[in-house]
Amino acid sequence: MNSLYTYLFLAALLFSLGIFGVFQRRSLIGMLIAIELMLTGASINFMAFNRFLAPDPIVGQIYTLFIMGIAAAEAAIALSIIVAVFRRLRSINIERAQELRG
Amino acid sequence: MTSSWFQDPTLLAAMLGALLPFVSFVLIMVFTRPYPKLSATISVAAVSVSLICALSLLGRHWHLEQPIQYTARWMVSGKLYVPFGFMLDQLSLLMLTIVAGISFLVQVYSLGYMAGDPGFARYYAFQSLFAWAMMTMSIAPTMLQFYIFWELVGLASYFLIGFYYEKFSASEAGKKAFVMTRLGDIAFFLGLLLVLLNFGNLNILDMNSVDVTARMSPAMITLSAILIFGGVAGKSAQFPLLTWLPDAMEGPTPVSALLHSATMVAAGVYMFARIFPFFSKSPTAMTLFLAIGTITMLLASTMAMVTRDIKQVWAFSTISQLGFMVMGLAAGSYFAGIFHLTTHAGFKALLFLCSGVFIHEYETNDFFEIGQHGGRGLKVPIVCITLAAAALSGLPPLSGFFSKEAIMGGLAELPNPIWLWAGLLGAFLTAYYSFRLIFAILFPKKIEEVHHGEHGGHGHGEDHHHAGLYWVMAWPLIILAAVTLVLGFFQAPLENFLVGHHGGAEGHGGGHHAWLLYVAVGLALSGVGLAWLEFGRKGASQVGFVERLEPVKTLFAERWYIDHFYRLFLDYVIYGIFSNLFTRNDRQVIDGGIDGLCRATVGGGRVLSFLQSGMLQYNLMVMFAVLALVALYFFF
Repeated sequence: MNSLYTYLFLAALLFSLGIFGVFQRRSLIGMLIAIELMLTGASINFMAFNRFLAPDPIVGQIYTLFIMGIAAAEAAIALSIIVAVFRRLRSINIERAQELRG
Repeated sequence: MTSSWFQDPTLLAAMLGALLPFVSFVLIMVFTRPYPKLSATISVAAVSVSLICALSLLGRHWHLEQPIQYTARWMVSGKLYVPFGFMLDQLSLLMLTIVAGISFLVQVYSLGYMAGDPGFARYYAFQSLFAWAMMTMSIAPTMLQFYIFWELVGLASYFLIGFYYEKFSASEAGKKAFVMTRLGDIAFFLGLLLVLLNFGNLNILDMNSVDVTARMSPAMITLSAILIFGGVAGKSAQFPLLTWLPDAMEGPTPVSALLHSATMVAAGVYMFARIFPFFSKSPTAMTLFLAIGTITMLLASTMAMVTRDIKQVWAFSTISQLGFMVMGLAAGSYFAGIFHLTTHAGFKALLFLCSGVFIHEYETNDFFEIGQHGGRGLKVPIVCITLAAAALSGLPPLSGFFSKEAIMGGLAELPNPIWLWAGLLGAFLTAYYSFRLIFAILFPKKIEEVHHGEHGGHGHGEDHHHAGLYWVMAWPLIILAAVTLVLGFFQAPLENFLVGHHGGAEGHGGGHHAWLLYVAVGLALSGVGLAWLEFGRKGASQVGFVERLEPVKTLFAERWYIDHFYRLFLDYVIYGIFSNLFTRNDRQVIDGGIDGLCRATVGGGRVLSFLQSGMLQYNLMVMFAVLALVALYFFF
């Protein structure tokens, strides 16, 4: 049970859920949450590989720390974009932001 | 050449003589254009120094054994080596002196003629430019340098013909002269390229040497000689390209005297003489040149018989005399052609400068009107113009007589007598049209005293000033008249000078054919006599025999429809076929192609833009799908 494949499976599941969420949710907040899920999936992959395959230099953990930092920064920027979109369109529904349609 | 000490003066004189007019041109154009008097002084001073240099060179090298060459490297590119410099031999020394002399006299004369003209400084700048180009051309050691300065001469001529550029006809005439001579020059350039490719050298002495025949096939020599002759035909107004010269008379009269009679148009003949040995290696080409010279001479004489414009008469006679020179050279008598060039430069400049005095005085170009206004009242010009016309007609003992006899002698040497008869006919026509003009001025039908009196009263206030200008203009006339009188007697020394060391070609005086002398003089005199019957005697109708035949007169007055032919050719072939085709190609193929490309791009963008729904998530999905596919492709 406590093997590499369990973690890889979990990571793939989280990533797929995230992808599905990004495609399916129409709310910008929902999409942001789904993106966070994808990032988490990627982090779990790094940690699992670090733990089972390449433990000595803990590069995988450092990567995960970076991903967390980036996720935080990304959340801040994304939220401010969402606020700006809301101010402009009075909604955070992605279907309203279609001005670039050809 | 060794640069020993005693040869330095030669180099110095050549450099000074050839470069000073250029310096003066630059000075006038850059600094002194607002000051007409100063500009004229600079220009006349430069050309005087040039004349002194030319004369001293001529005197110093009167017994020249071998051509002197000074060359400096101008450009080296790979194996190609382009020298610039001077070559002094008998021919170039003679030409240098002629050019410097005529330029000097014309510039002095212009002090009077152009006085008060708004473009006075500009005029002298162009005169200097011309003098520089022409003199450097005369002493060019290679055909390339010759060609470069040949074109510069053409440029100066364009400026001077179109000097009154506010006048439409003048700027048109300048353009016509430029384009027509360029037509010949293209052929000239192609010929030079042929020689360069096949012979590998454009040095004039090398081209004239014997080993051209060893390095080039006869057909190639003929072809390149004919092409190079295209330049002669353009510059010297020979048969197919002769119509620009009469129009070039739009320029100021001294310019006509300098460029379009005495020096520039003689450049073509000079070039012929310059590489005469090269040309004479191709008998076919020489026969062609002879035919062209003959046709030109006869055509131009007939045109001169009907025009009423004094300058046009001399323009046509210039073409005709150039035809004579080409005939003389093509007949193989090198000296005769050069000698006629020399004498012609003198008397034709004299004719134009005299005509200038009349035109300046009466402000009309029609010589019948000049006669009626009392043209014979101007003593110096009328004497000089008569003298010069007599020289032109080949009456003894004037210079034209000797040189024309020399040419006739050369023509008589040819096996085919037709050339000689054509030449004699030309001499007769020449005498007729020259004296038609002279008698029209000397013995006008009625003299309108009113006009002249009015004019006298008008000029009374500035009498002194006027007289001063008159004498500035009269002095060059007197000098040229003296030259015309005595030059003929220098035939023997000149022949020694030019031909003495020249093995291949020899000149023929009239001595070989005594009967020819009498026939030629007789024909000239009968030409004068005919003119006297029709224009000179009391109660003469003043209508020439040609003018009685309406169709012939129209044919001559329209210049044998050569201009019309060019116009038609331009309209139908150039504009109708080529321009039209090129325009359509431009509009439809090039413009259409570019437009089509633009339209396709825009349309393609339109079509593709339907794919963009504006939904962020669809974009994402496509991105993801593509990335997934790429990943699959790389992994499996």
